[in-house]
Amino acid sequence: MRQKKILIIDDEKTFTVVLKISLEALAKYIVYVENDSSRAVATACKFRPDLILLDIIMPYKEGPDVAIEFKNHPFLKQIPIVFLTANIRPEEIDEQNNRIAGHIFIAKPTPFEDLVQTIDRNIHQSVSL
Amino acid sequence: MDEIRKKFSRPLKVLVIEDNVIDQKILESMLTEPPAIASFLKIAGKLSEGIKLVNEFPFEIAILDLNLPDSQGIETITVFSRHALDLAIVVNTGVYEDDLGLETLKHGAQDFLIKSKYNSYVLNKVLHYCLERKQRERDLVNAYHELKEAQQHLIDSEKFKIVGRLAGGVAHEVKNPLATISYGITYLQQNLKTPDSNQLKVMENIKEAADRADKIVNDLLDFSSLDQFQKTPASIQSVIRKAISLVQYQLDEKQIQLIEIFTDDHDRVMIDKNRIGQVVINLILNAAHAVPPHGEIQISTHLSAWPDLGLPGSWGKPDLFASGEKIVVIRIEDNGVGIPENVLDKIFEPFFTSRRAAGGTGLGLSICRNIMEHHEAGIKIFNRPEGGVCAALCFRALSQAQEDEYAAKKDLNH
Repeated sequence: MRQKKILIIDDEKTFTVVLKISLEALAKYIVYVENDSSRAVATACKFRPDLILLDIIMPYKEGPDVAIEFKNHPFLKQIPIVFLTANIRPEEIDEQNNRIAGHIFIAKPTPFEDLVQTIDRNIHQSVSL
Repeated sequence: MDEIRKKFSRPLKVLVIEDNVIDQKILESMLTEPPAIASFLKIAGKLSEGIKLVNEFPFEIAILDLNLPDSQGIETITVFSRHALDLAIVVNTGVYEDDLGLETLKHGAQDFLIKSKYNSYVLNKVLHYCLERKQRERDLVNAYHELKEAQQHLIDSEKFKIVGRLAGGVAHEVKNPLATISYGITYLQQNLKTPDSNQLKVMENIKEAADRADKIVNDLLDFSSLDQFQKTPASIQSVIRKAISLVQYQLDEKQIQLIEIFTDDHDRVMIDKNRIGQVVINLILNAAHAVPPHGEIQISTHLSAWPDLGLPGSWGKPDLFASGEKIVVIRIEDNGVGIPENVLDKIFEPFFTSRRAAGGTGLGLSICRNIMEHHEAGIKIFNRPEGGVCAALCFRALSQAQEDEYAAKKDLNH
């Protein structure tokens, strides 16, 4: 099975370092990190990820604005986006089936296993589309 | 007019403090000869005797000579008024000086009489006017306390808002590093080759500490997002059932019997289900704390028309709903100890708690009230005549038309 490519867009460097190592340790993903949200589109074009983990509150450009850029982009609009946010309590997201206004949300810090599950569920979805 | 005449001829309970025997006799005859000014009269020759009598009998008013064997001048009134806070006082003295007269008013007297310069008609008028003045004074003091309280409430809720805002910001900043710690430890636990038992223990404890910090931060976030609501049409009964399922464990632990009385009435309301669920949970847990083991909690819902909700007393805000409007009422009742009357008006204040020792923060009911206010809904907590406490919530019932309108709007947005 081809390794899936994940792009993390998050300005919190310590978090992205640990998350990249954690995900790659599972040996089923190749992970790329972009800490500067204003370069998100350019990086995504180069890396062509199968899924994007997108932080919400970031300097320069906030997550939702980045997501709109992706949705308006001819190649990038197909890529599933999972929002990572420290603003919402896990229960609030659970109660809405991990979706807010149609987007997939993960609360920081969600247990690592749950994060992996969400990634896998949504990557497969994108392949079947 | 008749009422006023009646008021001014009502006989009074009078204390005379006067050492001069002749003056005593004059006052006694004025007060007791028909038509009697006093229905109850005691005479003291010394200040100390007078103070003793105040503690023994329910006087309304005292006639006080300033120069007594055990106290002279202004000192007499300052000492006496300290011991007779609820009594109206008329100073009765032989010498008249304006500055002395005014000075006595500052120290608790309501009027000033000069011996042998008045008759029983004037005395009666003075005594009754003094009582009225004393009453006005009490009203003023009460109004002042109420104002003070309202001001404190404003300060509290402002504090509340600032703490909330601060907490929200801090919570977000703390969550990011927490996520790093939490994922880092998970990674190490899963990928460290042959860690020894101490390394395992350290990792486990770091994880535990991070989880605890996360929980605290979540509580703070919860506190800070009190102004964010997502209202949708919902069945109040389903909200209550979910709340009950979340606290069932605590109820079972204390072997509390829960009685549910849900009528088949229409129970649709426009609410943030999570927030109202939080209110219901809070009230159930309060009831659970109040009842003894094997106690009883009853939860009921019914449909009423404002303002007649079948509850004793009135709501603080009579214009909360329009008269005749359909109201969904929830009652959560317990057969516990009740709330002491002297704290009943404080229970909604932020940081007021009767369970501080048991870890209460005093925010529960305050948050509940806030949530209800954001729903333009009512909350009332009172001691039941038959014992125990009743917490009542009332919401505007959602009509079919409103529900259809909401559904149409939602379709439009999608």
